[in-house]
Amino acid sequence: MARIPASALRRYLLGGELSTRRCLRRNNQIPTRLCSQRIRAVHTSTDTDAADPSGTSNTIPFRKQLKDEAKARKSSVQKRSKSDNQRLDNWELTVGIEIHAQLNTARKLFSAAASTINDEPNTHVALFDVAMPGSQPVFQKETLIPAIRAALALNCKVQKSSRFDRKHYFHWDQPSGYQITQYYQPLAKDGYITLYAHDGIAKEDGDEIKIGIKQVQMEQDTAKTITTVEGEHLLDFNRVGLPLLEIITLPQIHYPQTAAALVRKVQILLNAVDACVLGMQSGGLRADVNVSVRRRDGQGEADNEYSGVKGLGQRTEIKNLSSFKAVEDAIIAERDRQIEVLESGGVIEGETRGWTIGSTETKRLRGKEGEVDYRYMPDPDLGPVIVGDDLLEHLQSTLGVLPDKEISILNETYGLTIKDAMSLVSLNEGGRVEYFRNVVDQLVLLSGDEDLRRLGRLAGNWVLHEMGGLASDAGEEGDALQMTSEGDCVIPDIQLSSLIHYLDSNQITGKTAKKLLPVLFENETKGVMKSVKDMIDEGGLWFIPLSDEQYEEIARSVVEAHPQQVEEVLGGGKKGKGKLNFLLGQMMRRDEEGRMDPQRATKVIEEVIEKSRK
Amino acid sequence: MLRASTNQGVRNVLFNYGKQADLNAFISRTPAPQDGKAPAEADVQARDPKKALISKHSRLLAVKDNIATANLPTTCGSGILQDHQSPFEATVTERLWHAGASIVGKTNLDEFGMGSHSTNSFFGPVRHDSFDERSVGGSSGGSAVAVAVQQCKVALGTDTGGSVRLPAAYTGVVGFKPSYGLIPRWGVVPYANSLDTVGILSAKVKNLFVLLQNAKGHDPRDPTSITDATWQRIKEGRKRSAIQSGRHGPFNKNIQNLKIGVPIEYNISELDPGIRQAWKNALKLFQEKGCTVVPVSLPNTKHALSAYYVIAPAEAASNLSKYDGVRYGTRSDSSDSAVDVLYSKTRGEGFGDEVKRRILLGSYTLSSEAIDNYFIKAQKVRRLVQRDFDRVFSLPNLLRPSEQFDLSDMDESVELDNKLGPSQVDFIVCPTAPTPPPTLDDISKQTPVDTYMNDVFTVPASLAGLPAISIPFPIPEEHQRPNTPAYAGIQIIGQYSDDHRLLETARLLENLRPGPVKFKISYFPVDSKSQRSPAEEKKKTPLIRKYISTDRKAKLPRKLRSQPRSQQEPDLDLDDAFKSWENLERPK
Repeated sequence: MARIPASALRRYLLGGELSTRRCLRRNNQIPTRLCSQRIRAVHTSTDTDAADPSGTSNTIPFRKQLKDEAKARKSSVQKRSKSDNQRLDNWELTVGIEIHAQLNTARKLFSAAASTINDEPNTHVALFDVAMPGSQPVFQKETLIPAIRAALALNCKVQKSSRFDRKHYFHWDQPSGYQITQYYQPLAKDGYITLYAHDGIAKEDGDEIKIGIKQVQMEQDTAKTITTVEGEHLLDFNRVGLPLLEIITLPQIHYPQTAAALVRKVQILLNAVDACVLGMQSGGLRADVNVSVRRRDGQGEADNEYSGVKGLGQRTEIKNLSSFKAVEDAIIAERDRQIEVLESGGVIEGETRGWTIGSTETKRLRGKEGEVDYRYMPDPDLGPVIVGDDLLEHLQSTLGVLPDKEISILNETYGLTIKDAMSLVSLNEGGRVEYFRNVVDQLVLLSGDEDLRRLGRLAGNWVLHEMGGLASDAGEEGDALQMTSEGDCVIPDIQLSSLIHYLDSNQITGKTAKKLLPVLFENETKGVMKSVKDMIDEGGLWFIPLSDEQYEEIARSVVEAHPQQVEEVLGGGKKGKGKLNFLLGQMMRRDEEGRMDPQRATKVIEEVIEKSRK
Repeated sequence: MLRASTNQGVRNVLFNYGKQADLNAFISRTPAPQDGKAPAEADVQARDPKKALISKHSRLLAVKDNIATANLPTTCGSGILQDHQSPFEATVTERLWHAGASIVGKTNLDEFGMGSHSTNSFFGPVRHDSFDERSVGGSSGGSAVAVAVQQCKVALGTDTGGSVRLPAAYTGVVGFKPSYGLIPRWGVVPYANSLDTVGILSAKVKNLFVLLQNAKGHDPRDPTSITDATWQRIKEGRKRSAIQSGRHGPFNKNIQNLKIGVPIEYNISELDPGIRQAWKNALKLFQEKGCTVVPVSLPNTKHALSAYYVIAPAEAASNLSKYDGVRYGTRSDSSDSAVDVLYSKTRGEGFGDEVKRRILLGSYTLSSEAIDNYFIKAQKVRRLVQRDFDRVFSLPNLLRPSEQFDLSDMDESVELDNKLGPSQVDFIVCPTAPTPPPTLDDISKQTPVDTYMNDVFTVPASLAGLPAISIPFPIPEEHQRPNTPAYAGIQIIGQYSDDHRLLETARLLENLRPGPVKFKISYFPVDSKSQRSPAEEKKKTPLIRKYISTDRKAKLPRKLRSQPRSQQEPDLDLDDAFKSWENLERPK
């Protein structure tokens, strides 16, 4: 684990010399990676000096040196917390992202075969899907609806006329030998996405940042390869030809965290407009990132131009990232690798790299010389797609409320915190918000109270936290609640809102309400139809306030049980006040059903103590 | 280029007996039923007799083997599909079957339609019925020979750059390429999608009407097939145009109004003298019938061939990427490991030389370094070729918004008819091929580029998507040579959607054509009576309309005529005119 440079070892063993300066410096420096030791040894003159026998004046025992080095290594290996690792002083990172999302459509892009997710392999395959000679593509125009919705949500200009092109490469999951995509004339161009602090962007980006969307295009998915234990590749053509949406951002992202926030936000937006089938974690969303670095002081060669952004360093592409964490981690790792190469005098090659989850380094997949020339050609069978203004207007007007708007409504009208609002919006593909709003609507009806902020906070707590607890207790992620994107849930909104209403109107205690929720959940899961009222009736759980006599009785028993504390209370002062609280706690403990009102209890016990003074 | 054994993989073809067995026109044949009836009869009986729309004479149908059929294999003449059984039937064969046609078999072709001589087939070359050592033309050579030797009444081919017209011209049959998108291509294995059309070959023009009628019409499975709505729009536009020009009504009543264009650029020096004479004679027959023959200019034609051989291979390279042996077709024993170049062995073994050549060509012209200079330029040339035709035809191309042609934009060689611009014509008449069918020996000595030269007259109509037909026409006796066919293919090209009138015009020429009414096409004798002496000629067509000067430089400033030409105006003297065109400067 601890690798001592051979030169240092040799110097110690053969000459009894130690390079102290290096040790000291390492401790002072920003932690760097292990191998940077070697790099510096080559490129900084001070280190070459360290090899000079003259540097022996300040000798430190070898054991200590090893210890220090190990310490330094430890601190460098220990990941800097990610939020600290966003900005480097000397280098600027630039990232552009391509996101692939599976469009939510009933049919494939160019055949009438149904789009399915986990059906029996090779059961939804049209002749064209397997490139049968003589078969032709037929554009399924319904696929435009979710695609245009997504483009509108990303503030893109939907093009009046767009076209399909063939991108050629051989792979067994690509039956035609080419993928039909939109290269020359994409569906939509020139959009942007606004990321706010609450979206989780790097703090260096401030409160909000706008990232340009270069284009949004439609393309075909590939077949699914299933590799058997024997090493055979089985192909499932159900997936081939499914419509994908590719979203390409401009290289305007400078922090890894912002990149991850962008991907997350795109997913939220796509869900909000019902354009996308599955979330990133389920494989419905994949991202490729283009990473380059340049010196902040403008030195070094950085004269590449990508998507109209000039003066960038040579970029590399990391393919197929399938989680937000992977996006951030891969960018950090690739950024650090590029800086390391450049600082050691190397040159970044334009290449494609891969990332496996949990690793610390990106891996080279193929270099420029191995790059495929895709030989883009307009598909001669497919005419242009013409999008009429009427369709655009209709889709724009039926787009619904986008998440950013939704969050501000939840925050301002319903009194939720931004954090809770974000969680609500991102859960169940927007279904949780629907559910929340239904619950609040019911509460307004039940209580007659119009204070949406108060009711919103109340409902928010239950819909988000209490119900969230249920789901995690059940152990199945989100699925236990069976929440749909329309806001239907295994616990009907009317049931939950009446439960909250009983609590809100002091008809049951908070303790009771919390106890009832899992019972309600279990009943509904099993299909037992029972109203909340019946459940409270059966359990005799209605809140009956304690009578004055009962309060007094409990207070007296507490006072009798703790004479010493009573004395101290009577003694007054700060100490006395503390003891009063202790006695109050004792009172509350004696009320197992949680019916005791603390304010009244305080009043009663104070009276009882006063009485005991006499 | 040829496979070592011509019999390699050849199926048991019942029709290939005797002399015809050597012709290798068929790759597979519908087997005869046990009851002794002819296969076609039995086939027809299985259907509703009322649906047998096609006359008995055109029931027997041969189908080029790149059109998918569910009952017979569809090999495309390729090794990689040598055992391919299509799971579905092409629209065109399905429609014709419903109309009463019986498929007698699948005909041999250049692999995937790539070739001009039907010599590039995995199943061996197709041979000429009468001139053994000569090319039958390609790529629909099997279909042409099957018609020529009467193994079927009609045959389906595909025409990408002349693949129906060229073999028709070489074998002495009629070959018709309809407007692009008229007959659906669903089931037609694509060579170059933007050019591919299903074509029909037959001994006589009259058989084509009913076949076209039954085969055409929109198929939603083919995105390039003309929709009913578009066709309706075109129909209305045609009607307007006909009324405007005062030539609506039946074709026969308007023959005197017919204007035939002679493209001066087609009179190339390489043109065989016999074929040139046949061309002139055909034009004269139109003149005699009262049609007006005028010269027209298609200045961009000279680039058409190069553009074609960029566009077609590019699309072909793309289309042929699907043959990897994974889902169908032959597959080599080598592994598909990603370490090696994927499928290189399967594709290397499965494709023939010409196909490989065009894949390489196409892959290059589409590559990022070459696409701007080749593929995109070629597409621009294609548009120019289309504009050339649109300018020349009096009927507008109703697929495109009408275009104003600025006189100042026009090439200097374009002759003006009146102050409104150059004369506009109904049809263009020119040879189908510049020479009689070359000998196989000559072909084997040619470079691939030389063999592409045969398509020089057929490619422009393909690039523009126009209907064109080749019909056999006798070569005058004095130009006939031994062991060479005594006929030439005369091509008639019409404006987009003018298919029906094109067939009428072809039928007219067929009827005017000298010779006995019932001649055997392959050997039809030349009627010397049709050849008038030059003296007679002079008498009949006075030399007045000589507005083509021999000196190009000194040639007319645009000739503006104040009066439109009347019917009484004398006809163009073709001999003179041709002579003057021969002296035109021509870029190499």
